[in-house]
Amino acid sequence: MNKYLNLSIQEIHELLLEKKITPLDLVKEAYQRIEEKEKLNSFITLNQSEAISYAKQLGEEEVEKENLLWGIPIAIKDNISTKGIRTTCASKMLENYVPIYDATVIEKIKEKKMIIIGKTNMDEFAMGSTSRTSYFGAPKNPMNEAKITGGSSGGSAACVSGGLVPLALGSDTGGSIRQPASYTGIVGMKPTYGRVSRYGLIAFASSLDQIGPMTRTVYENALLLNCLVGKDSKDLTSRDSSIEDFTRLIGKEIKGMKVAIPNYFVSEIVSSEIIEKLHQVVDILRQNEVEVDYIDMQYLDQAVTLYQIIAMGEASSNLARFDGVKFGYRSPKADSVEEMYLNSRSEGFGREVKRRIMVGSYLLSGENAKIYYDKALMIRNAMKQEFDKVFEKYDFVLGPVTTTTAYGLEENLDDSRKSFMDDVLVIPVNMAGLPGLSIPMGKGKDDMPIGLHIIGNKLEEAKMYQLASFLENKIK
Amino acid sequence: MSKLTKEEVLHVSHLARIGVTEEEIENYQITLKQLLDDVDKIKDIPINHGELLVTPVEHGAILRNDSDSEMIAFEEVKKNIPATVGNFVEVPVMVNE
Repeated sequence: MNKYLNLSIQEIHELLLEKKITPLDLVKEAYQRIEEKEKLNSFITLNQSEAISYAKQLGEEEVEKENLLWGIPIAIKDNISTKGIRTTCASKMLENYVPIYDATVIEKIKEKKMIIIGKTNMDEFAMGSTSRTSYFGAPKNPMNEAKITGGSSGGSAACVSGGLVPLALGSDTGGSIRQPASYTGIVGMKPTYGRVSRYGLIAFASSLDQIGPMTRTVYENALLLNCLVGKDSKDLTSRDSSIEDFTRLIGKEIKGMKVAIPNYFVSEIVSSEIIEKLHQVVDILRQNEVEVDYIDMQYLDQAVTLYQIIAMGEASSNLARFDGVKFGYRSPKADSVEEMYLNSRSEGFGREVKRRIMVGSYLLSGENAKIYYDKALMIRNAMKQEFDKVFEKYDFVLGPVTTTTAYGLEENLDDSRKSFMDDVLVIPVNMAGLPGLSIPMGKGKDDMPIGLHIIGNKLEEAKMYQLASFLENKIK
Repeated sequence: MSKLTKEEVLHVSHLARIGVTEEEIENYQITLKQLLDDVDKIKDIPINHGELLVTPVEHGAILRNDSDSEMIAFEEVKKNIPATVGNFVEVPVMVNE
């Protein structure tokens, strides 16, 4: 078998330019690898015949010299709408749903002439932290197939980590890009809220959701983010920030930067081996004249409660659209419209999704909206202000991504709270709308990857990649 | 272990328009209670006034230009509709006899 997909994007691009390989070689290799590693269950739907025919068509065209992403295979999380390619959200509810339009990020990927290999497995409607709530079964961690991939973008993480494709898109509502990236040893970025259009992303919690890149290296992550960002008239929350090259600071000096580590991120909730790895990173930073302070930040320990209220509330509203009328699953057992709603939703949604919709509906009903939702939004504001204060003095907030390494596929199955607690360290970033990046910082005693979380101020992704790339080289 | 009553589960499932079976009710009595106990912790946080952060977006709503844009053909839309009659969506009876 060829091993072109083991090469960096720049190396692949050189080979394409020199006509030593064609996009078809890359696509065939990707499908061969997917077949060999079928057990990973990282894909729900493959786009094989279309991808092969598009790769052949590209092979007839001139390689775009300045476009490093030209002809590169990419995998897409299955909650991002792809015209003509089934998009299930890993749910029975959308098992046969084929979008009739592309999400804005998909249009951008197509403009760059990347090749969509397939749609990746995930937690149902992105609700979970293990990808085990998928209607299509859980994906497996390529680092150890008996372990979870994390979630909800578990399939995207697994296919990059397992070397099936070099690039993937995920989405992150409360850590769903960064946490699986950490568990599988890859790089995952949740950009600033509004950087990337959410048009065509099937909504979970609209004020938290953000699409982002999942890749093997920091450079490739920045490269992919370059093509995703920009204002979109179809997403009123997208930012009017100018397009920039996120790779531009990679390789530049980090001396003089200031980093804060909240004491909560190194408290007893985090395993000692992970804290030890973080301290090794701190040593590297200090040796390179980066100032590192341990600080107190209020409200971080309330993040899970806030998330439960805000995310479940928004989810119950967003998922009200799945009623069996215009698209999605409709129960055949219904003699009235009311029965159609009840039965379609009961049979179409899985257990975790139903639980969250029910709690969310309760939290938003009558007086509860004031007691729970409004109060959560008040504390959310206070949390954002805490971050604002920290960023007046520091360039970054650092911490671990997770409290442990990836656990066994059969562990914690009946614990309805566990999936929330898995994201305790990453949720604050979504609350404040900040960018968060996960990069590998070593392995635990179980030989499973450990992720470093770099939190930047809003719109400072380029600076985050600068620090991340420096550490990526030092930690190797 | 504290549990929700059966009536409370039925109330919540009605709000969510999600049908529940007798077996499921038992499970929800426990798991929903756990989640509701968790969110109840918010009452202990000593913040009782201040601005609400509904979204991290700092700019106000920027609306699209009021102009024609691409239309999606009904034939396309129809492909995902579970049941249709001509150009209509077919649903079970909506009014009581």
